Amino acid sequence: MTPPQLSSLAEEGFRRIVETCFRQEAGASAPFPDETTDLIETGILDSMGWVSFLRAVETASGISLGSGLNEQPSSIAAIMGALQDSMKGPSASNDPQMRMNRAVGASTAFVAASSSVLGAKLVPSEEADRAFGMPIGKLRKRAGIESLAYAAADENELTLGARAAEEALRAASCGTGELDWIIATSETHHDYPALSAQLHSRLLARENCGALDVGGACLGLLNAMVVAQSLIGSGAAQTVGVVTADVHSRVLTPRRVVGEFGGLFGDGASAFVLRRDEHGRADSGYCVGDFLFGCAGQYASAIRVAPNEGGGLDVQFDGEALSRAAITRLEKVIAVLETRSGIARGSVGGFATHQPNPRLVAVLAKQIGVSPETFPAICRTSGNLGSSMCGAALHAALQQAAKAEFSQRKPIFLASLGPGMLLGGTWLTAASSGGAAFRR
Amino acid sequence: MTKLLVTEITRMGPAVCVIGLQRDKEKVQSIRPVPTWVNGWLHFPYQRGEVLECSLAPICGAPPHVEDRALTKNFRKSATVGESDIVTYLRKAECADSLRGLFECAVYENKKGSGVYARPTEAHRSICGCQTQNLRLELCGNELRATLVLASGELLRDLPVVDRDWLDFKDAALAVERGANLAARLERFLNSQLQYKIMSCPHHFVRIGLTRPYREVCWLMLDTLFPMPKAEWLEEF
Repeated sequence: MTPPQLSSLAEEGFRRIVETCFRQEAGASAPFPDETTDLIETGILDSMGWVSFLRAVETASGISLGSGLNEQPSSIAAIMGALQDSMKGPSASNDPQMRMNRAVGASTAFVAASSSVLGAKLVPSEEADRAFGMPIGKLRKRAGIESLAYAAADENELTLGARAAEEALRAASCGTGELDWIIATSETHHDYPALSAQLHSRLLARENCGALDVGGACLGLLNAMVVAQSLIGSGAAQTVGVVTADVHSRVLTPRRVVGEFGGLFGDGASAFVLRRDEHGRADSGYCVGDFLFGCAGQYASAIRVAPNEGGGLDVQFDGEALSRAAITRLEKVIAVLETRSGIARGSVGGFATHQPNPRLVAVLAKQIGVSPETFPAICRTSGNLGSSMCGAALHAALQQAAKAEFSQRKPIFLASLGPGMLLGGTWLTAASSGGAAFRR
Repeated sequence: MTKLLVTEITRMGPAVCVIGLQRDKEKVQSIRPVPTWVNGWLHFPYQRGEVLECSLAPICGAPPHVEDRALTKNFRKSATVGESDIVTYLRKAECADSLRGLFECAVYENKKGSGVYARPTEAHRSICGCQTQNLRLELCGNELRATLVLASGELLRDLPVVDRDWLDFKDAALAVERGANLAARLERFLNSQLQYKIMSCPHHFVRIGLTRPYREVCWLMLDTLFPMPKAEWLEEF
């Protein structure tokens, strides 16, 4: 059973979500209806609006409502009742993400330290234009990319990832022997042994420290983090290292792909030390909030990459559709993070999002009505870093936040996308405050 | 005189909207007969698969409903075509494998909640057939919704089902005289036997339509789903 105090907190959160979603659907100026009013019968919403409203509440709350509302009036009271019912027992909610968040406790893991490294060779984007046979200045003018970070001859996913991991461990004052798990993600490393196994050896982790690779391409960091949070929340781990590393310059070469696609990418890595929040150790870190994940399959054909028989890559890349989809989806993820966390986007200190290219980041900032300064400028000088993009942006946001007094540190939103239009997001709040000062 | 094979009858509030196929030499095209003063029929005593003789006149319908034709002389039933034959004709009419191909324009998702729409200024037609890789029907807050995967692998989620036969089937399934736990029983059926019945049917086919422009958008909806529901399926749950 849910304790009464938790129940009332949940009700407050649910009410906020329902009100926000209702106003999104019916319009900001629409009066909030009486709880028992049937929204369809009274014409406040039509059947499309009603289902759209339900889906918005489901996404924001992480609770599936649809079937629970069948044979019930189309009212706010019915929705609130279904949401409350989901709190009655651990098996009542049929949403796996909600169960996961509840089981691990949303604030049990915190980011103790972070790091990010880039390929050592910084080349002007004009050089990439030339290499890919594009008009000189295209990447700069069309995508806003000024330079690209490429791995030097002696660098690869392992060396970049290991360097980032060592720096993060050092920043956390955490010995490699304390790691219970290493979770790695990369969209360019397809060799055996897997990247996590190679990192395990390189970092000299304990033999009984687990090593796991997760996929998701540009969504890889969020996938890795949710696994880390689950391991910590379940008690299976105290300390987890999350590492991303990508070397696109050896995969997306001019001989294999066209420049409009391959020219966008650079090389880099990031690493994070996640720990269990106990004994007040979280005082200098950032707590990890709830996660949301999904897949918007209507955009499945916007990007497809597959090897062909000649050793090249077949790339299907509808830039315009992909850009539109990326903006729409990131916007939607941020809106859900805002609703679910109760943290207004205007209060967010940094948006560590995927950055396909600087132009799209600028459009996204404009669309969601926040300053572009809140998006760390990574892509402009390093190119799209794949699974390390979100990590590099998060590290930069954490570094920026560290300049402020601890009590003044603002929340950070993470949002990313992957091919097939996988999507995910979470938020981080300065550990001791829990972001309370920034909640609506 | 036009011969029109009725292929879809969709619910539109208290009225129904009708679309049929007309053969023009080798070409088979969709035609939407409408009364001269409104878009729907309050009384339409015909069924899908019936061939109706009628007189139609072109009208300047608002785009993308370019299939609209005004009825100038009443319908007269002349023949009936079986379900699988209807699909054979539908496959010769407007068809697409991809989302962009459906209405020959970009399709946008609702940023606030669910649903996808096309812009009336961009869409070139308002009805299109397609083969699906998979399809699921769901009851969401009492509303019947469809989620489907096109041949291209693109997914359409939460399409409102407006097919009159399928909505009649839903209403019959939820009729109080059928006992208790009606929604749960229907849901179980939709999730299990129905999925198999639909996907294993050799003439499985869907037609997706656009609503009339409303606030400058036309929402996508599932106009027609083959196979059509059978009354005996109600005995299975």
